[in-house]
This record gives sequence, C-alpha cells and structure tokens, in this order.
Amino acid sequence: MLENLLPPLNEHNLPYPDTIHPIVVHFVIAMVLFAFLCDVIGYFTKNHRLYEVSWWNMFFATISIFIAIIFGQIEAGLSLAYYAAQPVLNLHTLLGWSLSGIVAGITGWRYVIRLQDPQKLPFAYLIAGLLLTLLVLYQVYLGDNLVWVYGLHTVPVVEAIKEGTLQ
Amino acid sequence: MNYELIEQLRSQYGANGLPYAIPIHPNLVHLTLGLFIIGIAFDVVGVLFPLEKSVFKFLAIPATRTNFFDVGWYNMLASAIITFFTVATGFYEIMLAYPINGIKSAWGLGALETMLWHGVGGVVLLTLIVGMTVWRGFQRYLWRSDRARQVQWSYLAVGFLIMFLMFLHGTLGAHMAGEFGVHNTAGNLLRLGKDPNVFLN
Repeated sequence: MLENLLPPLNEHNLPYPDTIHPIVVHFVIAMVLFAFLCDVIGYFTKNHRLYEVSWWNMFFATISIFIAIIFGQIEAGLSLAYYAAQPVLNLHTLLGWSLSGIVAGITGWRYVIRLQDPQKLPFAYLIAGLLLTLLVLYQVYLGDNLVWVYGLHTVPVVEAIKEGTLQ
Repeated sequence: MNYELIEQLRSQYGANGLPYAIPIHPNLVHLTLGLFIIGIAFDVVGVLFPLEKSVFKFLAIPATRTNFFDVGWYNMLASAIITFFTVATGFYEIMLAYPINGIKSAWGLGALETMLWHGVGGVVLLTLIVGMTVWRGFQRYLWRSDRARQVQWSYLAVGFLIMFLMFLHGTLGAHMAGEFGVHNTAGNLLRLGKDPNVFLN
C-alpha cells in the first residue's frame, strides 16, 4: 500500500535520496546524553545554570523523538529486512516506541521539578537520567547493527535482496 | 592507502574491515551535529525571544532569555570538544576503508574522491566549529556580556552556512556507507560471496 503513496523508490529502496531517520536521531541521542551530562556536572558542582541547559535539551529531544519514529517507521517498512535482520529490527522498533513514552515522561517530570524549584534536582531524577542514557545507548547499538552489520538500505544489500540472492 | 599494508591488517580484522564490530565515527557524528545545530537553534530562540514570550506564556513554560543563550553556548562548547574525537576516529576508519570500486555515487563521484573530500571536509568543519566556539565565547564573556541579546546576527548567519556545509559533508559520508559499502559487514560478506543470513544469524 505504501508503495502506491510514495514516489518511485531508488537503489536504496527509498523515495528520497538517503535515509533520514539516522539524521533525525542526532537530536535525540545528542540531546539526551548531553542533558544527562549537564545534570551530573550541575549536581556535583552546584552550577544550576546547567539544569536549564539540561531541561531545554530534553524539551527538544521530546519533540525530535516523534519525528524520528515517523521516519523510522517509513524506513523500517521499506527496509526489505532479510531473515537475520528481522529480530534486531523488531527490538529496535519496540524500544524506539517505548523510548518515546519514556523520554516524554521524564521530560514531563522535569517540567514539574523545574516549576517547583529550578535550582533543585532530586537524586531520583539523576537515576532516571542514567537509566534513560543506558536505554538510548542500547537503542543506538541496535540501530548501528541494522545499518553497519546488516546493511539495511545500503545499495549492495538492497541489490542482493532484489535479485533474490538474499531473503 | 597502501594496499599491501591494509591487506596485512585486514587478515586480523572482522568482515567490516575494523578491529571492532561497529564503526565509532558515525556515532560521534550524532553528537557533533546534534550539539552544533541545537546550539545555533537555541541562540536563534534567544535572539528572537521578544517574539516568543507570549508563546511560552501561553504554553505555561517559564522561560528566561539568558537560559537560551546558556544552551547556545554550552552545546557549542560540547560540540567543539567532541568533534576532535569525531575527526580522529574518522581518520582511523577512513584509512582502513575498502570501498567498492568502479562505481559512481549519486553525486557522480568515485569512491576515492568521496573519501578524500570527506577527509578534508572533516578537518575544515572541525576548524570552523572550534572557531565558532571561540567567537561565541568572546560574545558571551567579553563583547556582549552586558547586553540582553548576547549573540550577533552574523554568528547565526555563519552558523547556518556551516550547517549547509555539514549537509554536503554528511551526504558524502552517507555515500561512503550506503553506496560504496565502507565498513559494512553484510555488504562485505556479499562481496565475498557469503550469505549474511548464515553468518549474521
């Protein structure tokens, strides 16, 4: 069905020149990791200015993750994932959707914390930030596998799948 | 690079041509680009703050102008620091690259041309990012430390220009990965006539 709605697909099996999802995720990965770094440094050096830097980065990450999922779903649907790649893609999809809820939830929590007192950060929030960081790193690892190990949307792999040598 | 030298190393490395499973450079690129672009973006938000005040009020999000400039500064600083590592890992991995030969990218460049431009571009961008950070630091701590609008328009303009360079540069990098199959495990297995479904299961 998707094929009828999109322009003709290129040799990456995409309706546009290159994959977009790995670009949009810059703004989730970098912002979440940097927000956590700012929180940790801010907490131990008592530089409360960094709490604001952290909050605004999380704010932006929350917007970005939904855009990342939209492109992620489009590109996953067009990825022609072959047998060995499928479990990794499934887990990446599941964790990606979960992360949208987790990132939005943590940012919401941060909004309330900031509303009450922007100079104070409960230690529990740092723990949540650490867990989020670990989840994001694992999600990056899964996505890296899809691109660099399984080669989804790379020309040689797409070619082999279309020729039928890889299924 | 010298083909024989690479071959000596390759025998010890994995199917992706690296001594580890996943390339490091593309991951650090997330940080370089994310931090730079969002740094500039928040400086834009800070500069245009008078126009946005009512929006933030409507959304019930407390916002102070100086905080946006804090984000602009710290994100740019972090981008400059991390980019040294982005470039360092990039050179390590580009020297071990073993691209598909005899094809042209979507931009009509061969593998070696793409790699050379991406290598040179990386050093140019590192220089520009460090330069922007120094410029931003001067605005923050010396030239405009007492002004409500901490950032010059020209800084933002150059920022957008650099983003355009980043787009060109990033597309060359995407061509290396997606078209020339550099450091791609499944792509290399296919080149060797092996079935990724068997070796990557």
